[in-house]
Amino acid sequence: MTEARIKPNPHAGLPGGKRRWPFHLSILLLLMPALLVPNYFRQVALFSGTGGLGERKLGEITIGPWKAQLAEFSVEEPLDQGLAGHIKSFALGLEPESATHVKASYMRVGKPRTLRAAGAIFYGPPYRQLVDLPIPQRTEPGERLWLTMEGWDGSVHQASIALSEASPVTEAWLAKQKGTR
Amino acid sequence: MDAISARPVKKKKTTARLWLIIHSWLALPLWALVFFICLTGTIATVSQEILWVLKPEIRANRPSAEAPPLGYDAVLSAVEKADPGVKVDFISRPVKTIYALEVFVTARDGQSSTLYVNPYTGAIQGTGQTYDFRFFMRALHGWLLVPFNGLTSWGWFLVSSLSIPMLGSLVTGILVYKKFWRAYLHPRLRLRSGARIFWGDFHRLAGIWSLPFIAIMATTAGWFLIQHILTYNNITVSTVGIPQTIAREDVPSGTGTTVPWISLDKAASLVHQEFPDLDPAYVQMPVNAYNHIVVGGRGNYPLIFETANVNPYNGKVESTRRVSDRSVVELVTESMRPLHTGDFAGIWLKLLYFLFGLLLSALVFSGMMVWTKRTAQATKSLIRDIREVRTSTAALEDGQ
Amino acid sequence: MKAKLKTALMAVLATLAMTAPALAHYPFCTCALRDGSITCTGGFSDGTGAEGVKLDVISYDEEVLIPGKFGADSKVSFKRPDGEFYILFDAGPGHVVEIDWHDIDGVEK
Repeated sequence: MTEARIKPNPHAGLPGGKRRWPFHLSILLLLMPALLVPNYFRQVALFSGTGGLGERKLGEITIGPWKAQLAEFSVEEPLDQGLAGHIKSFALGLEPESATHVKASYMRVGKPRTLRAAGAIFYGPPYRQLVDLPIPQRTEPGERLWLTMEGWDGSVHQASIALSEASPVTEAWLAKQKGTR
Repeated sequence: MDAISARPVKKKKTTARLWLIIHSWLALPLWALVFFICLTGTIATVSQEILWVLKPEIRANRPSAEAPPLGYDAVLSAVEKADPGVKVDFISRPVKTIYALEVFVTARDGQSSTLYVNPYTGAIQGTGQTYDFRFFMRALHGWLLVPFNGLTSWGWFLVSSLSIPMLGSLVTGILVYKKFWRAYLHPRLRLRSGARIFWGDFHRLAGIWSLPFIAIMATTAGWFLIQHILTYNNITVSTVGIPQTIAREDVPSGTGTTVPWISLDKAASLVHQEFPDLDPAYVQMPVNAYNHIVVGGRGNYPLIFETANVNPYNGKVESTRRVSDRSVVELVTESMRPLHTGDFAGIWLKLLYFLFGLLLSALVFSGMMVWTKRTAQATKSLIRDIREVRTSTAALEDGQ
Repeated sequence: MKAKLKTALMAVLATLAMTAPALAHYPFCTCALRDGSITCTGGFSDGTGAEGVKLDVISYDEEVLIPGKFGADSKVSFKRPDGEFYILFDAGPGHVVEIDWHDIDGVEK
């Protein structure tokens, strides 16, 4: 009986055998974080303001007696937030003098009816505040974003900017949504 | 051969073998990724301590043994004096007294940074980035730097789902290793019997000694996976409730310029009256005119942060969130993070986590080495066997 | 609190207390008309309900027609008022959702 001399393969069922290299392929997965390092630092610069107010600066905006810089926080389509719909972030930097007079700032798609309905509020230090602005389903291309500011003296001032100017990506996204609906 | 006693032994052997097969298949295909996650996690555990060694400015040097720590107001005025006009967002008092206070500030140009403030003298010892080495290690370990899309990152899903093979390796490892408890009393690490024996001994030894640690890591990470799945589906286990804001009519008006907030020391003492056991670890400034000062810290239960929301205009403690306000699920959920990082008892625990982290990383590596040596040897012997059979067959054929 | 992404990130950094870099808490509110009665359902994007949140029905000339508050089921029901109006979900300054009567489900446009 010659066959008896072949011991059963002690590796039957175990990974590998003759071809072991596929089990080292997961090393390649480590390329992923390595490739993402530049993006990480870009995001960190965005979050800490060292890369400026936002990814796309919109310049100075005058709101009654006050002045501020406005920016599209990141150049990307509005984020899907489930039931709350789609949210798009903008950043605001009040001039130091205005910062002492402005109590709160709000943003809304379309002109607000009242201060109470002025939209989403900006949060963060006055020199770099963010707003998470809901973009309603019914938003038509060509609409404007309204910035409402209330002062500590009780006064309210407003300014507006075309959505297409504030965020061309969002404008294009809206057009795409309209097309698919 | 005694057939009666041989049968169960053989059966035991085949089931053990099955566990070994499962054990190998669970760990091997992604061994490099698991190894990387273990190693980066190990470094992340002590990243604050690494910074302490490297950067003298984050140390809290006490001028004299009896120097009292400064209050929050003294810290604020020290920052204002050093950097007029800067806005303070957040003050953090690290648990361990060897660290300087961290004050997060935003300058007039909108750039944020961290000031390291001596907790006894108020001296600004240095400036750092808001997202330092600690945050980088955490991002690398926790989500492989894959950016968040909204609240979730698939990097997080990938990393936390490794808890499944980890838990599986733990269970099958125990099942393969018969009577493993004996090895606690009679450890065996043969250094001179070749690489395969060494790695095998090491793998078993490291495995049994890190059993509880692996169980903690796999369970907490598994919980992070479940939490992330819930977040992805907009499901909350939180009982925090609706956002806390200050009503429009309760915020002063007609003043012309910014109404100053109440003194932070006063806020802290008001919180102390309501929460005598709370040890304030951070103060977060209101994020806008309709928001509260949030004072947070640990109470009697070290794993959970308790918070109090203080109205910045009248100093009233308007809401608190204590251990007793949380549901059981929340208590479990919120305890997972400190259990995973080991950051709740002191430096000794962190160092213990660090050592076990190294051991776990080595465990992954040694498992891979055992497999490499084993299959190499087996392949060799298989080839040898086949050759032998061939030669003997040939010899037989020749003889015929 | 809103998704104070930056602040939350800082909080994570400083306190190690949270696992996610942000906690989204965006309000939502939808309303539907059935048999002359309007029912509004509210809440927050993270799954939190709207119990205790104000919901006012306001006419176009800014008169509060029906003041309301969400119950434990995160719903408010009321009879459809005459004329033109909007509904305001108000969880505090800047935490609002506005629903124009045109956008109520089941209202003929």
